Amino acid sequence: MLIKRTEREARRGMLAASLASQSGGGFDRRTFLRRSGLAAGALAAIGTLPLGGVRKAEAGPPAPPGARVTTTKAVCTHCSVGCTVVAEVANGVWIGQEPGWDSPLNRGSHCAKGAAVRELVHGDRRLRYPIKMVNGQWTRVSWDQAINEIGDKLVAIRQKSGPDAVHWLGSAKFSNEGAYLNRKFAAFWGTNNVDHQARICHSTTVTGVANTWGYGAQTNSYNDIRNAKTIIFMGSNAAEAHPVSLQHVLSGKELNRANMIVFDPRMTRTAAHATEYVRFRSGTDIPVVWGMLWHIFQNKWEDEQFIKQRVFGMDDVRKEVAKWTPDEVERVSGVPGEQLKRVAEMFAKQKPSTFIWCMGATQHTVSTANVRAFCNLILATGNVGGVGLGANIFRGHCNVQGATDLGLDIVTLPLYYGLVEGAWRHWCRVWEVDYNWMQARFVSKPMMEAPGIPSTRWFDAATLPKDQVAQQDNLKAMVVFGHGGNTITRMPKAAEGIEKLELLVVADPHPTTWAALSERKNDTYLLPICTQFECSGSRTASNRSLQWYERVVAPIFESKTDYEVFYLLAKKLGLAEQMFKNIKVENNVPVAEDLLREINRGGFSTGYCGQSPERLKAHMRNQDKFDLVSLRAPKDAPEVGGDYYGLPWPCWGTPAIRHPGTHQLYNTNLHVKDGGGTFRARFGLEYQGKTLLAEGSYSKDSELKDGYPEFTYGVLKKLGWDKDLADAERATIERIGGPNPDAVGWAIDLSGGIQRVCLEHGVIHYGNGKARANAWNLPDPIPTHREPIYTPRPDLVAKYPTYPDVKAQFRVPNIGFSVQKAAVDKGVAKEFPLILTSGRLVEYEGGGEETRSNKWLAELQQDAFIEINPADAAARNIQDGAWVLVSGPEMANGKVCRVKALVTERVGKGVSWMPFHFAGWFQNVDQRGKYPPGTDPIVLGESVNTITTYGFDPATGMQEPKATLCQIRAA
Amino acid sequence: MARMKFLCDADRCIECNACVTACKNEHEVPWGINRRRVVTLNDGKPGERSISMACMHCTDAPCQAVCPTNAFYTTADGVVLHSKDICIGCGYCFYACPFGAPQYPRVGNFGSRGKMDKCTFCAGGPEADNTVAEYAQYGTNRLAEGKLPLCAEMCSTKSLLAGDGDIIAAIYKERVTKRGYGSGAWGWKTAYRETIAT
Amino acid sequence: MATLSARIGAAVGAILFAVFLTFATPASAQQPTSVNPTASSVQEDKLLQELRRLQGRITIPDQRASVLIQPAGQDWRQFHQVTLHWIGGVAILGMLLLLVVFYAVRGMIKISRGRSGRTITRFSGLERFMHWMTAGTFVVLAISGLNITFGKNLLLPLIGPEAFTAFSQWGKYAHNYLSFAFTIGLVFIFFMWIKDNIPSAADMQWLREGGGIVGNRHPPARRFNAGQKIVYWVVVIGGVALAISGYLLMFPFYGTTISGMQTAQVVHGIFGVLLIAAMLAHIYIGTIGMEGAFEAMSTGDVDLNWAEEHHKLWVDEERKGMPAGGRPATARG
Repeated sequence: MLIKRTEREARRGMLAASLASQSGGGFDRRTFLRRSGLAAGALAAIGTLPLGGVRKAEAGPPAPPGARVTTTKAVCTHCSVGCTVVAEVANGVWIGQEPGWDSPLNRGSHCAKGAAVRELVHGDRRLRYPIKMVNGQWTRVSWDQAINEIGDKLVAIRQKSGPDAVHWLGSAKFSNEGAYLNRKFAAFWGTNNVDHQARICHSTTVTGVANTWGYGAQTNSYNDIRNAKTIIFMGSNAAEAHPVSLQHVLSGKELNRANMIVFDPRMTRTAAHATEYVRFRSGTDIPVVWGMLWHIFQNKWEDEQFIKQRVFGMDDVRKEVAKWTPDEVERVSGVPGEQLKRVAEMFAKQKPSTFIWCMGATQHTVSTANVRAFCNLILATGNVGGVGLGANIFRGHCNVQGATDLGLDIVTLPLYYGLVEGAWRHWCRVWEVDYNWMQARFVSKPMMEAPGIPSTRWFDAATLPKDQVAQQDNLKAMVVFGHGGNTITRMPKAAEGIEKLELLVVADPHPTTWAALSERKNDTYLLPICTQFECSGSRTASNRSLQWYERVVAPIFESKTDYEVFYLLAKKLGLAEQMFKNIKVENNVPVAEDLLREINRGGFSTGYCGQSPERLKAHMRNQDKFDLVSLRAPKDAPEVGGDYYGLPWPCWGTPAIRHPGTHQLYNTNLHVKDGGGTFRARFGLEYQGKTLLAEGSYSKDSELKDGYPEFTYGVLKKLGWDKDLADAERATIERIGGPNPDAVGWAIDLSGGIQRVCLEHGVIHYGNGKARANAWNLPDPIPTHREPIYTPRPDLVAKYPTYPDVKAQFRVPNIGFSVQKAAVDKGVAKEFPLILTSGRLVEYEGGGEETRSNKWLAELQQDAFIEINPADAAARNIQDGAWVLVSGPEMANGKVCRVKALVTERVGKGVSWMPFHFAGWFQNVDQRGKYPPGTDPIVLGESVNTITTYGFDPATGMQEPKATLCQIRAA
Repeated sequence: MARMKFLCDADRCIECNACVTACKNEHEVPWGINRRRVVTLNDGKPGERSISMACMHCTDAPCQAVCPTNAFYTTADGVVLHSKDICIGCGYCFYACPFGAPQYPRVGNFGSRGKMDKCTFCAGGPEADNTVAEYAQYGTNRLAEGKLPLCAEMCSTKSLLAGDGDIIAAIYKERVTKRGYGSGAWGWKTAYRETIAT
Repeated sequence: MATLSARIGAAVGAILFAVFLTFATPASAQQPTSVNPTASSVQEDKLLQELRRLQGRITIPDQRASVLIQPAGQDWRQFHQVTLHWIGGVAILGMLLLLVVFYAVRGMIKISRGRSGRTITRFSGLERFMHWMTAGTFVVLAISGLNITFGKNLLLPLIGPEAFTAFSQWGKYAHNYLSFAFTIGLVFIFFMWIKDNIPSAADMQWLREGGGIVGNRHPPARRFNAGQKIVYWVVVIGGVALAISGYLLMFPFYGTTISGMQTAQVVHGIFGVLLIAAMLAHIYIGTIGMEGAFEAMSTGDVDLNWAEEHHKLWVDEERKGMPAGGRPATARG
């Protein structure tokens, strides 16, 4: 041995010592050098021999001599946890990444994706310049030419087919400002055909949850799960989809010795850490939850006082639940009654209990009802509106929450105002444009107020006969910003749809599936957009916290920010002046801070009004001040005293009143000025003679000791609180109200005065209502089990059929009932006997173009695969790791997908599972050559959505990729 | 004197592979070289556990013992490092290593082994600290900057611990006591000839 | 052989592990009434008691990375650092000592009747070429092989790390590339001389008489006597074992696992040192040990008297095969 441990000369000791003398060299290196007879110079020379080094020194550390290394705080652009990324930059090159220790959300941690984000701005496989397709050939064009040609084509389509012929598909990877800009742009263009990934993510959650208690978002936070005693995951594989959230979950589980119960058809990495794993059949969430409630009601484990005070219509739920005896639940879902009883008892009695769900629950034809069933379980056990409990809905993309909030959606303007005239008038006031001018941008007032075409149905709207599409014409153009094509079901149909389009614009750092899937030859434009690391803005994490992130490096190659491209398009279309009235534009780039200020000015409905850019930036500067569990900064902390981290919405009133944000929604144990609240009274005062206002429940120190309705100027007057309004506030309200100022509500009061005064009186302006166990306006007011369209149990369809057909739902027909009936009649379940369900891999995200182009991630998952149970594999003579051919009931005859078999007991017998991130192979054809040269992702593979089938949730247009059928055979 | 060790708390590890890409990111490790990896035992069955594994920087390291050219050295912090200028790529350390840590870039026509590469505990190699020469061969030297290995620092669930063996053992012990279960300090018996009594 | 039994143990362990995996959960695990994954988690100490090697699933295609812990590496280290040093040391130094003692006692075995001046062709050009190709490469392989095992103790202190690494690096290349020449030679040797190396009854007598090494009697032999046949089979068997184990090591993970390569290295090491020891004896007897022997492989022609002394039956056969009165051998000089 060259170095003997006893010969240590430099006893330099621990890290502290090495910190003290950073340049001290290290650890016996000199001894080693001396003894090995090598001089440092010689070593350096030898080091360049080809057999040696890891790589040639390029951009990576150490920094080039003389370069100043600066540190920038950004936020990870993958999932919704919102991990802080600390970037080290030298000479404009991102050279290193350090843990962001101060962030209470991730405390330095990352997952595989977060630890590899630096690669995104190296951009080996990024689009470098605008490209258009000319007779099947990719051709480089200038930005000017691209914007001009796209603008001209849009105008031509508008003239011929109307504004609704263009779909503006946006992205959950936008900043809040980008999402807002996209929504605003669609409004100015004159269509509600504007959507993003939330459609296929948590649209059902938003609808279901908002219809239950007011707001469609995670009620608590990742951090708050540390307080839970019982944690249920249903259809959530957070270990792979939200890895850093597991830090909070597992810490909480350990410290509280909490119950962690995972319901999933698949024994996931999350389930591996559970204290109880419940396997059930895909698509039977409602029977399982009703099965739990059956035991709860049977044994009187429910929280009667909570139900009495704060819940409407629980008796209607009892009636439905009574049908779900343990035997029936086991017959339908496969879960034994004993297990459900044990789990139900834990959830009801070992409180606080939290219920977590994700795509496993939300991507079904019945998902709005699924979500409502979960809410009912939570309400029945009194597990919402406090610490350590609630509906912890883990959102997907890094800003899917924010993009949803900002109305990148077919059913609403920003911040859930909806599409009614009042909503349009509110936003027109914020934008300072004339309502009539705005209306003229649309085909008609009804179309202005009609929900648009969901992202799941755009190709149906492009390919169906014109008379089946409830708008002026078919879809003729897709403008796609940052949205994969392979995450949407029925890809063979999408390929047809793409070919039908007269114009396809893909604005993205990568070409995406859109560019490669079809046989298009012309009128296709690829615009290089930079990643969020190349621009600044704010994003909303799943827990509703907003985080401001700084630009790490300038946009690489010729790429531009979303902001700039929207501005250029607006300018080309002659809309720029109106759209950017109150927003500063520097070198064609709208200033993000100004965009956020405009959001603040109009965002009263959802409490997006208090998070000014200045406050958000102060939070990023003072991350270390916030408590890990409560997320709150001490009152005396400079700049951020008393705030919750990221001012989780709702953050009421103007920034000036310094509302701290709301960590736990509907928490009556806190004063409303400390983030307290009640269930929102948004459904009226009573229904069928029963009150919808809370009874005897109110937030801490409320001056109104009972339920109360939403506040308007008129209500303020009745209470005599209007005298607390400042003159300017009163003037604003009266200006808005015109002849009827009393009707001006808290959400459209642009002064924020109503909110301010209410908070001063300890009440919440949105009212103190009951949560609805019965949501009478939804397709199933009480959640009702309905079999998946392609069910492995056709015997159950007669008793539990899907929803009836509808001629026009979101402007297109929904013929799920007919499809289900045909499938049962044809015996599809015999030909395709395996359940096919899909999900996430930790290494990839969404459509995966970005992550599959990242060499550090791509190495970890090199092949698309399908999980199959050993018994099913043995019956088909399939070996682990071998190629297999997968076919689905809607694929054309003879078409198959070629993937690798992963033989595992993760899936039960009769079940198969595929990740959805792959694309670039389509029905056994390698499409690598169809990407513009140099932009093809490193890893290509078959998408599960080539196999997935018809089925749409009637309330949201959600697709059904989680429960369909397939057949697998050895290749 | 600190004795640097790794400890993977398998009851926290969720196979998120952050450690793997953090390592790749920090040292720009090329495709095919896996200084760190995550292995899942009993995959898909109750009892499944994932464990992140790299060079454990063994006490009386087998690689060091069997190396025909004495390319290895142990630093004062107990980190087992090697010189790529001395290594001849014979593969013996790979046979001896209980953890599959040594990696060999494929060079030449027969895919024969190049110079061995492995986890350095983010402590670089024999060249002067944080020089281009050191970085090119071994990656960054975080230890010399007073930082711990990035894999552990970025671990999503704080499963992977790196640092003074006594401290991380105490952390693990406290966790097991608190939560009432622990599947073991994976690799400690083999690498350090000790276990953490709980 | 402790390590080899450990290998077998590992194989059995792997099978047991597979069985364990199969039966860890009943086939009807679809709907177990109670599954607590936390409580039923695998335990390292328990697994290590049951198995020789912990292997799982990994996402990267490199399946060798799926081995988590293989304590067998420690056994291999023990073999390489201790056992092999002893075997090699005893075999090689022992053989050298034996030869020195033998030479001191016996000296060079002379041709008892002196040289006849007439020679007989013993080995053709091809035979000699193949012999020397095999022999030459073997010497390089042996030196570079010994260097890998003993070099750091013997050579490194003398020449220093830089030179030693350079030497070892070239040694590694030489070892890898010359192995092909050695293997080709080996194949030729096997086929060229197999017919003359089938053991026969005469060999028993030759062996019983100790090959005439002690004393002055020369038991009759055909083309190869029993001693030479032993050398032949040692070379063939040892060489084949070295070649196979060597190629397994040279092409890592082609058809082997890590434990397979450890076994291959054990085989390679043991056969290597033993063959070196055997070849020392062969070299001795072919050079300073016996007068007239070396010519067989240098010119190919041996003195007739030498041939009659050592290979009487062969000379007789050669004569029989010749035309009557024909030249029994080429007379030279």
